[in-house]
Amino acid sequence: MSGRAHTGEPPAGPAALARLRSVGTDPLSELAHIKERTGLMAMGYFDSYLPEELIMAHGIVPHRVTVSGRDDPRSHEFIQGYACPAARDLLEQALRGDLSLLDGVLFTRYCDSLRGVFAVWDSQKLSPFVDFVRYPTVVDTEGAVTYLAQELQEVSARIARALDAPLDERRLLDSIAACDRKRALVAELAARRATRDLPLAGADFLAVLVAATTMLPDEFTAALSTLLEHPPAGEPGDAVPVVLSGTTFDNIALAAAIESAGLYLAADDLSTGSRWYGIRVGSQPAAAGETPTDPWEALARAYLTKPPCSVKEPSSPRADHLVGLVRASAAEGVLFYLTKFCDSEQVEWPFLRDRLAREGIPVMMVEGDQKGEGSGALSTRLEAFRERFELGGEDS
Amino acid sequence: MSATGERQPMKRLEATRSLRSLIKGYYDDLFRTASEGRPSAWLNVGVPCEFFYAMDIFPFYPENYGAACGALKITPQLSAVSEAHGFSADLCSYVRATLGTVFSGEGPYGELPKPTLQVSAMNSCIMIMVWWRAVQRHWEVPTFVVDTPLVRDQSEGINLDYVESELRRMVAWVEGQTGRVLDLERLREVVRLSNEGKEIWSEVLDLRRARPCPITAADIFTHMFPMVALRGTPQYVAHLRALRDEIKQRVDEGFAAVEGERYRLLWDNLPPWFDLKLFDDLAARGVNFVIDTYTQAWGPRYMGPIDEVDPLRSFAAYMGAGFLNVQIGRRYDLLAELVDLYGVDGVVFHSDRSCKPFSLVQVELRRKLQENLGIPGLLLEGDHNDQTLLDRGRAWSQLESFLEVIDGRR
Repeated sequence: MSGRAHTGEPPAGPAALARLRSVGTDPLSELAHIKERTGLMAMGYFDSYLPEELIMAHGIVPHRVTVSGRDDPRSHEFIQGYACPAARDLLEQALRGDLSLLDGVLFTRYCDSLRGVFAVWDSQKLSPFVDFVRYPTVVDTEGAVTYLAQELQEVSARIARALDAPLDERRLLDSIAACDRKRALVAELAARRATRDLPLAGADFLAVLVAATTMLPDEFTAALSTLLEHPPAGEPGDAVPVVLSGTTFDNIALAAAIESAGLYLAADDLSTGSRWYGIRVGSQPAAAGETPTDPWEALARAYLTKPPCSVKEPSSPRADHLVGLVRASAAEGVLFYLTKFCDSEQVEWPFLRDRLAREGIPVMMVEGDQKGEGSGALSTRLEAFRERFELGGEDS
Repeated sequence: MSATGERQPMKRLEATRSLRSLIKGYYDDLFRTASEGRPSAWLNVGVPCEFFYAMDIFPFYPENYGAACGALKITPQLSAVSEAHGFSADLCSYVRATLGTVFSGEGPYGELPKPTLQVSAMNSCIMIMVWWRAVQRHWEVPTFVVDTPLVRDQSEGINLDYVESELRRMVAWVEGQTGRVLDLERLREVVRLSNEGKEIWSEVLDLRRARPCPITAADIFTHMFPMVALRGTPQYVAHLRALRDEIKQRVDEGFAAVEGERYRLLWDNLPPWFDLKLFDDLAARGVNFVIDTYTQAWGPRYMGPIDEVDPLRSFAAYMGAGFLNVQIGRRYDLLAELVDLYGVDGVVFHSDRSCKPFSLVQVELRRKLQENLGIPGLLLEGDHNDQTLLDRGRAWSQLESFLEVIDGRR
């Protein structure tokens, strides 16, 4: 941790934070509570290109399955060890029965490892309903928007048939509004963290991100609103602000370990973070005399035009997004977390490294398997990274 | 048994000799095209070269080039160059080899000329797209991605419409980059030649059903080159015709490529280009890989004849449901069909670290084949282009044990 003690908070703030932390560290327990309370079905998904609004429109609870970080060799009986460890982790959760609460799962073609996991999931029938969205890779054409809008409707029809859960058009609009609200609140939290107005620890911010795609939207919005209105007290310490860049990153323990080395995760360039909470679908019922925006097209456009992941084309706007985050948060450097065997990030890394160097922004790359708090060697590297700033800093 | 035990040398196809001059001619054309300032394009195997031949744009396939690096066993040296530029040693070995050449100018043919443009299609892997992206950034070469969303088994309906629109977008983009307009009549002429060659290729694949099998897997893998890079040209048809006639003659004469053919196996995935000798060494044990899945990707099930009346729609249908753009169900159906058609005793799944879409379904495919058809499978860890990733001794032991399993079932 960065030394920012959470002391003296108003009563409502700590309660909200405790609730968000609790969900963030154990999302499956929260899902169990939701199902018990509401009696609703639940649908899992795995990446931030899948519109959760699509699932909600069927009266089904969306649940982003997070990386558990547990050591579990059983995926090796189904998929090779050179598949991305995050993808294998998701498969392991299903194989050990942790995801039995899910009535179905929806994949996109996010990456080639996740595609392999889909094949096993589908073949082994690891959940009652398994389907995938024939997702575009090219994200900057009108053709892709039109196609994805149509494809989402076809997937919607299959969900309705398979789970006897018809689509409700009104619920689709409400879901879009609810998800826009919660993402906007997360963005507000991120902005206040970036300016140190609300210096919530990075580990807690990650917990909030997990809670955002686990809790029912209105409950999450209420909890986060409370936290924003009654922020925990504490002074920004002397930790060095950095931006964390990567893909999926649910490792709260590692985030805490990074901040223990005297770094402050001031902003994120994660597929499960700023490349997700920046999405605004914005489809609203039309006022009298106006042509209504098609909610499917609005969904497709919003998800395709968000800051891209390296698995999409073009990916170059991501570098601008990252540099913008560094500037907006006054971060002194970037920590690039490269998940082992992630092809697209392995190619993106030299490009981002060179771009950051041109901008005069130091960067450190950490390669890992998304498990645990990191090694002693990692702590030493992180401390050395921090010290270079304390000593006046040179480019990496 | 020794991996290098004494035996009669394998009788190679005469067509393999002419293949060498075909490849040399192709590379001569590449360099001539560059020196004369004519346009060239880097394409991946999912992009049909027919469009580019029709537009008189030289199509170059870096995957073919990567295989050449593998055959010459120079991937590790070239990989060291790309690693020095920050690219991971875990990346596909084709990528590491090609980027090594791009960065250093070193390679089997020396410095490769910078292309006029690049086009990739999403119907194989994410790796292709980011590979082209790395070249684009280094050489600042205009690059286009044809979107072909992953499908379950066929491209149809809105998906087919979308892929066709992507092809039309590609044509317009290439026209804009080069000033060359696609003449549909010229495309149809190229398609006619392409279809003729594909029909012959289909016959070649069928001839492998003979007992004994007339050729080995090592024989046929090298002849992928014209299927990939020369489709739609007269020399491609001529070469395939000679290849087909020679194999047919072998069948008529009852020629056995593997003397005393004892094990008829199926090879799944790309071969280890650096060690095609593995197939010869196994032949000494009576093993022949009578069929494989890799060459099927250019066969009639995945790359059949193009409709001359509506070629774009027809290309879109094949591209949208390309071999690596479909799901495990269709992969399993192909395996089951080949096992039956070719009288296969067992399947060797080459678990190729450099090809995730091909490999990451193999464990499940092996299980299903064993459970449903009683066909044993072996998962053989390796790589298609980097010899440091194949433990030859361990692989040999695994193969020997696998043959014992097959023997035990007889």
